[in-house]
Amino acid sequence: MTKLFRILSLAAALVCAAAASAQMRPVLSAYTLEAGSSHLADTYLSPLKYSGFALALNYERMQAMKFDPSRWVMRMNARVGFESAQNPARNASMLDLDLSYTWGMMRRFNFSGGWSVLAGGSTGIDGGVFYNARNSNNPASAKCAWTVNAAAGALYNGRLRGIPFCARYMAELPLTGVFFGPQYGELYYEIYLGDRSKLAHCAWPGNFFRLDNLATVDLRFGATVLRLGYRCAVLSTKEAHLVTRRVTHTAVIGVASEWISLSADRSDGGEHARVISAMY
Amino acid sequence: MKLIRNILICAALLTPVAAGLQSCHHIEEWDNDVYGNFDALWTVLDEHYCFFGDKDVDWQEVGQRYRAAIKADWDARQLFDHCADMLDELRDGHTNLSSWFDVSYYRKWWSDYPQNYDDRLIEQYYLDFDWHSGGGFRYKYLEDRKVAYVRYSSFTVCAGESFIDNMLYSMREADGLIIDIRDNGGGDITNVERIAAHFLEERTLAGYISHKTGPGHDDFSEPYAYYFDPATKHVRWFKPVIILTNRSTFSAANNFVSVMQYLPQVAIVGDRTGGGCGMPFSSELPCGWSVRFSAAPVYDAQMQLTESGISPSAGGEVDMNPEDAAKGVDTILEFAITAINRYAEENRPDSPDAPDSPDTNRPADIGSSLTMCAHPFQPLLLRL
Repeated sequence: MTKLFRILSLAAALVCAAAASAQMRPVLSAYTLEAGSSHLADTYLSPLKYSGFALALNYERMQAMKFDPSRWVMRMNARVGFESAQNPARNASMLDLDLSYTWGMMRRFNFSGGWSVLAGGSTGIDGGVFYNARNSNNPASAKCAWTVNAAAGALYNGRLRGIPFCARYMAELPLTGVFFGPQYGELYYEIYLGDRSKLAHCAWPGNFFRLDNLATVDLRFGATVLRLGYRCAVLSTKEAHLVTRRVTHTAVIGVASEWISLSADRSDGGEHARVISAMY
Repeated sequence: MKLIRNILICAALLTPVAAGLQSCHHIEEWDNDVYGNFDALWTVLDEHYCFFGDKDVDWQEVGQRYRAAIKADWDARQLFDHCADMLDELRDGHTNLSSWFDVSYYRKWWSDYPQNYDDRLIEQYYLDFDWHSGGGFRYKYLEDRKVAYVRYSSFTVCAGESFIDNMLYSMREADGLIIDIRDNGGGDITNVERIAAHFLEERTLAGYISHKTGPGHDDFSEPYAYYFDPATKHVRWFKPVIILTNRSTFSAANNFVSVMQYLPQVAIVGDRTGGGCGMPFSSELPCGWSVRFSAAPVYDAQMQLTESGISPSAGGEVDMNPEDAAKGVDTILEFAITAINRYAEENRPDSPDAPDSPDTNRPADIGSSLTMCAHPFQPLLLRL
């Protein structure tokens, strides 16, 4: 009986301790629309550089990690991008549709004065197609890549005329991975016929360079956040003597919010729980 | 703060490295003037064209010769004509320069030869202006002559399988089938497989395809063997087939002949095809003109390049006789009909010339001298 009492006492003490250190990890969800300029080139389709506009829809989700919420942050990003560009003579168009999804974790270093630095990695898939309607048997150049990326960023949380804000810079650079690309003069018809050799290439920054720079300012109006920013995304690949390049400069605007999932039958620590935000 | 400082230093060092990696991916640029556009055209062909060796063209010499003749004050028309003349040196019907005012063509692959085809003559004297059509096909069972006639004028369109099934089935009583692809300038090469599959007994080696692996004139991949599968769930035709060709049978139509010529029940009759076995690529010049050219060679099942055309089957070389044409007779079509009729007559079971047992490899003489390997009256297979 005494033994049972001791076990129950220990369990009660653990529950109390857990309640005292209960943490809430709100999910930061941001939906943004991007618009700006694009510069496209794909020597499989044309030796010329095209320029035009870029549009994108982006969903970003960040959350402090459960195992060490004050130090580690998860970031998931899904994006649909569309670019339309014209050749220098303005008599041919190149379209680009790009879909990407990345997931990663970053270590958060907090400093005094509202500063934080993020550093970590991510992995993601990226697929799309460049399309040049004027071409005969080479109208499209398909893109597909799986990459492992280095990710880093810096945050500053402060107040501007009483409005809390968070300024952020994020960069992501693939370090390695695998990407798809046909041989120099290979037709997709040959791939259709069954020749699938030498289509997958090992990626490294020398042949697959992609640098995604994102600078945002989150203005927090109560529970709603207005996100403004700028993205400069550079993709440059060279394999089988074929060069693909996509450079976009886009303005970013969107809304973000933090939300917490609660269930009635679950103890989350209630009002005593510590809220650990991924960014703020 | 020390950590931040270190990170900023690393970022400052990595940024030029990253920028340098990107700039390694050089894309050549040309000025949008007479010389720049000429150089762009010459370079695009130099790095991508696939038949320099096979046609023994010294592209370096051609480029120097034509560049030396350029004048800086030329207008667009003068430059276009000059570039078109340079492209003609390739003797390639797949190579065209397109501008907003003209498109260049190399025409000698057919213009130096008899046309050997008269559309109106066929429609009037053989089809009697009464035929079935659809999906790019015109066809009629010439009942009095026991021959099925199919006219296919372009590979750019092709009917669905059910249409082809119905077409072949409706002419099942014929002794043989004539597929007329004279003046067929090609189109979508995937239609070759769709049609050829109705004449295949088994998975068949259709040919080989290669591609350039780099900008050098000899940078080619190992030829890749590709196969066509029979249309097993559709109507297939194993009676004699004669394909009519002329010099204007080009590109995808030439590819169709290159595949069909090795089938045992098929013979080629008419004139040599026009060739065009290089799969074309497109590119463009700084001024906005586009250029199309042969980029990936396709070989037949015996690894023969058919860029200069495919000869008719032995004994099947026939030209249109103008005197016949004046009387409403297509000499080539008549030859094919006669060949099928004779072949059928000689191979009827009650014929003294009929073989005792079917021998699928037996060479049979049809017409006066045409040699054709065929299945002697193997029944039409219907697998619907």
